[in-house]
Amino acid sequence: MTITRIRFENFTAFKKLDIKLSPGINVFVGANGTGKTHLMKVVYSACDISKTKMDLAEKLIRVYLPSGRAIGRLVKRHRTSTRCAVEVYRGKTKLRISFSNHATVPDSATVTGVKEWTSRPIESVYIPVKEMLSNAPGFHSLYSQREIHFEEIYSDILNRAYRPALRGPVDQARKRLLKNLQKLIDGKVIIKDEEFFLRNKQGKLEFTLLAEGMRKLGLLWLLIQNGTLLNGSVLFWDEPEANLNPKLYGPLIETLLELQRMGVQVFLATHNYVILKEIDLRRETKDKIMFHSLYKDDITGEIQCHSVNEYLQIHPNAIAETFANLYDREIKRSLGGSINDSSQRGGS
Amino acid sequence: MTVLREGALELRLPEGVQGRKFDDRDHGLSHCMKAVDFIVEDHDQVLFIEFKDPDHPHATPDGREAFLKELLSGGKDDELVLKYRDSFIYRWAEGAAEKPITYCVLIATSRLDEAMLLARTEELKRKLPVEGPASGAWKRRIVSNCGVFNLKTWEKHMTRFPVERVG
Repeated sequence: MTITRIRFENFTAFKKLDIKLSPGINVFVGANGTGKTHLMKVVYSACDISKTKMDLAEKLIRVYLPSGRAIGRLVKRHRTSTRCAVEVYRGKTKLRISFSNHATVPDSATVTGVKEWTSRPIESVYIPVKEMLSNAPGFHSLYSQREIHFEEIYSDILNRAYRPALRGPVDQARKRLLKNLQKLIDGKVIIKDEEFFLRNKQGKLEFTLLAEGMRKLGLLWLLIQNGTLLNGSVLFWDEPEANLNPKLYGPLIETLLELQRMGVQVFLATHNYVILKEIDLRRETKDKIMFHSLYKDDITGEIQCHSVNEYLQIHPNAIAETFANLYDREIKRSLGGSINDSSQRGGS
Repeated sequence: MTVLREGALELRLPEGVQGRKFDDRDHGLSHCMKAVDFIVEDHDQVLFIEFKDPDHPHATPDGREAFLKELLSGGKDDELVLKYRDSFIYRWAEGAAEKPITYCVLIATSRLDEAMLLARTEELKRKLPVEGPASGAWKRRIVSNCGVFNLKTWEKHMTRFPVERVG
């Protein structure tokens, strides 16, 4: 069972939000500061603890890094005492956490539904905006031994990437995906002493010498190869477009659509028109895709979410609005106002 | 007031502005030359206007899909360029290629958003081409400007030339 719904009350940027999710691909769009990353991090934390059995409050602290590790700082800021709540649903199974803005330690949070939630662990992976594999050597051990100020998503993604290849035969769908990615990155990824390399006919190339976009595709290859992304897994990807050549957006989206068809639930946050349009153009009728537009309500100033199934229904669509503005200016420059100015001359 | 019609789309011209359907029987060379749909003589410029109507009531969903796919991949650019250039030559031979010409293409479907219209406008500019060679050898432009519109943006930017779907 995939993640079906999330509810927020006074959590970080959200006053009140209730979002129903697609079992396939969920695309989050919205201007900066509308909470796309916050939203994905909380669902990721809920998925992650279903496997690690870590306390959800502790996980949220590690993933969000509130100052002084005070979990209460994740409550939406109000002048008065406030309590926040987050609920993540898998059908009828609900994981809930609530805490007040005065809470300083994880124990002050109330978490319910843990037993049922963790009885069916979910494999999940969060790919952050910043590429991490090239910084991997040493980071892994440093993070586990020392208190360093890094959101845990960075350490988590390395843990996933370091996993050895899955035992047993590789099914056709995965084989095809791996082959396509290998073509794009021109090789395979190997790990030696915590260091990632791209290996092809020319030899071994350190990840630090590889274009950042290629490192991202290499990471995706690893996650498919080592079985992290399988039927029932959940993938969170924050701005997949970052540092990737736009020509690679198409193959990337194709890969994500394929993963979705294999049963991987996907969460994407994007600012990019081409990413959205590639999804729109490449999707097939059977693909389960929802676009969630996060925006600040004009009157209340609070963040709202409008969820739709079709690209053209996305509203508000900050990305398309930007293009509309560019287009308007281009047409005005092209026509130079001459066509409509003529009316005055014609009428005189 | 002159009203020009192409399929299910009607173009209204402002008072005092003359226009004609260009790709009709009077053209006489349709066996060897392409033609834009309308030529409109505005006061100090000429508009070459081409309508494409993938949302035509008789269009099949498959046909609509195929048209959009071709358009988005740039497959229609050459046809649009050819129509413009042949019409330009025709006008030149008529001795009527004096005023600057603006090429307006309407793709009457709501499925084209502004990003796609922008991409098609830029591509058309490059291919017509709006700019002459870098050497500066051209003394004049073969096209003054161009724009690709959907019905919504046509209404917004071409207020003197309203288009309506009829039938």
